[in-house]
Amino acid sequence: MLHYKRSPLPDYTPKKIKIEDAVGSTLAHDITEIRPGEYKGTSFRKGHKVDRKDLCHLMRLGKRHLYVLDLDKEQIHEDNAALQMATALAGPGITFDRHPREGKVQFNAAYDGLFKVNVKPLIELNLIQEFMCASIHNNTPVKKGQSLAGTRAIPLVIHRDTLNNALGVARTHYPVLSVKVFNPLKAKLIITGNEVYGGLIEDKFEAVVTEKVGVFGASLVETIILPDEKKMIAERIRSFLDDGTDLVITTGGMSVDPDDVTKLGIREAGIDQIYYGAGVLPGAMFLLAYKGNVPVVGIPACALYHKTTIFDLILPRLLAGEKPDNKDFARLAHGGLCLDCPTCSFPACSFGKT
Amino acid sequence: MMQDFETLLKGSAEAHGHLCPGQVIGVRMAMLGCELIGLDDPSSPSQIKRIIVYVEIDRCATDAISHVTGVKLGRRSLKFVDNGIMAATFVNLETSRAFRIHSTEESRDLAAEYAPHIKDKHLQQLEAYKIIPLEALFVVEEVKVDIPISDMPGPTQFKAVCGKCKTVVRDKKEIYKTGQILCRPCAFGTYYEPYVKG
Repeated sequence: MLHYKRSPLPDYTPKKIKIEDAVGSTLAHDITEIRPGEYKGTSFRKGHKVDRKDLCHLMRLGKRHLYVLDLDKEQIHEDNAALQMATALAGPGITFDRHPREGKVQFNAAYDGLFKVNVKPLIELNLIQEFMCASIHNNTPVKKGQSLAGTRAIPLVIHRDTLNNALGVARTHYPVLSVKVFNPLKAKLIITGNEVYGGLIEDKFEAVVTEKVGVFGASLVETIILPDEKKMIAERIRSFLDDGTDLVITTGGMSVDPDDVTKLGIREAGIDQIYYGAGVLPGAMFLLAYKGNVPVVGIPACALYHKTTIFDLILPRLLAGEKPDNKDFARLAHGGLCLDCPTCSFPACSFGKT
Repeated sequence: MMQDFETLLKGSAEAHGHLCPGQVIGVRMAMLGCELIGLDDPSSPSQIKRIIVYVEIDRCATDAISHVTGVKLGRRSLKFVDNGIMAATFVNLETSRAFRIHSTEESRDLAAEYAPHIKDKHLQQLEAYKIIPLEALFVVEEVKVDIPISDMPGPTQFKAVCGKCKTVVRDKKEIYKTGQILCRPCAFGTYYEPYVKG
């Protein structure tokens, strides 16, 4: 549980001055101009320093008084505070606009990759009453330029200590927001099953896997079909690992039938770690093993029927160089139920959003 | 006030090294771009920090655009987007108004029509591009350009250190790869290979 001392609500009120005294002062808010049938927009931006030549224009807009900012050195304008926060929050792969819009800074992806957000400090920052930062979900594959998060200071003026507190949280947990680039891994696929090997049914897995890895810039360089023979599967995995394959993918044989021996074959292939069973439907019988840093994936047969499965959740993380384990499999349980909608809208749905 | 066309073209040709049709296109494009974004003397001290130009080709016209507007790569006011398209986008940083100007292929066909008395194709284009109306020479589009803060001119605000070779990477050009912050050469490879003697 996070504990953060809530800072007191700010009590800053902009100073009201007569228009004739406004030269040299800084506007506390936008001033909108409306010319019927012709124009509606902001004529003077918040933060604008009033010049002598502005006075006539302001008076034409009916202004006789203005709210201006009269800040001491301990008070920070919201735009300045938001930009400082953005600088502290934006890790590698994150860019942001130079102009806060209505006090808000928007973060975008600098390149294609896997969006990462450090959730704990994100929540901690939002417990500071004067700041907020909202993001899309952790582990979402993103495209260059895509909107990822936004931050703003909530009141017009922030106390320097409060800003420093927030900056401290962001800097301590750097990077709070980041994008990991996808590695263009070369994958090899082992399709298992006597029925496919014997030619009784046509394989459909190769097309599925080719498309899914290709989306992220990886490629399938070799496919082989094997019968449900544990020894043959183990030998082939071993040979793929020995020849420097980046990612070994197997399909089928993950269930509990006597002929489901692929997971046993993986186990016997000399791997270092193995995780079997995940809190995801479809994909409960998913398997993930590692030989060194090379993943060996066991996709259950459900991936032939369901458009989206746990493979779609784990694959981007593997391509981003992560090594998910059984704890990650368990975390996926919250949000791990695919609703099997008639028209799949993944990733724009709750599936995999932990 | 901005100099007249002939003076700008002369200066541009000198800066570029020769007079060519690309110089004419570039000078006219830049003059139009500045007019559209409301800058009448972009390289003057009062306006030089108000402009950024994105060029989409690294050919003759780019030097002309740089000459007329005063934008420079080293000032971070000239941005190169390697599209291989004879186009440039002129951005007024104060108003955020931006216009992309594209030199059309059709204008090349018009050269013979506007300068029929010149037989040499190079000279024909050079003279014709001076008089072809702007609307026939270019396609203009008002656009919006979101310029990341890390691409702005001014002092360096962002620095990272490559986790592999320890090179300092400025302006948020670092890459997060397999859990490591890397410079682009370490992340994606180099455009060069080390020279091996012998």
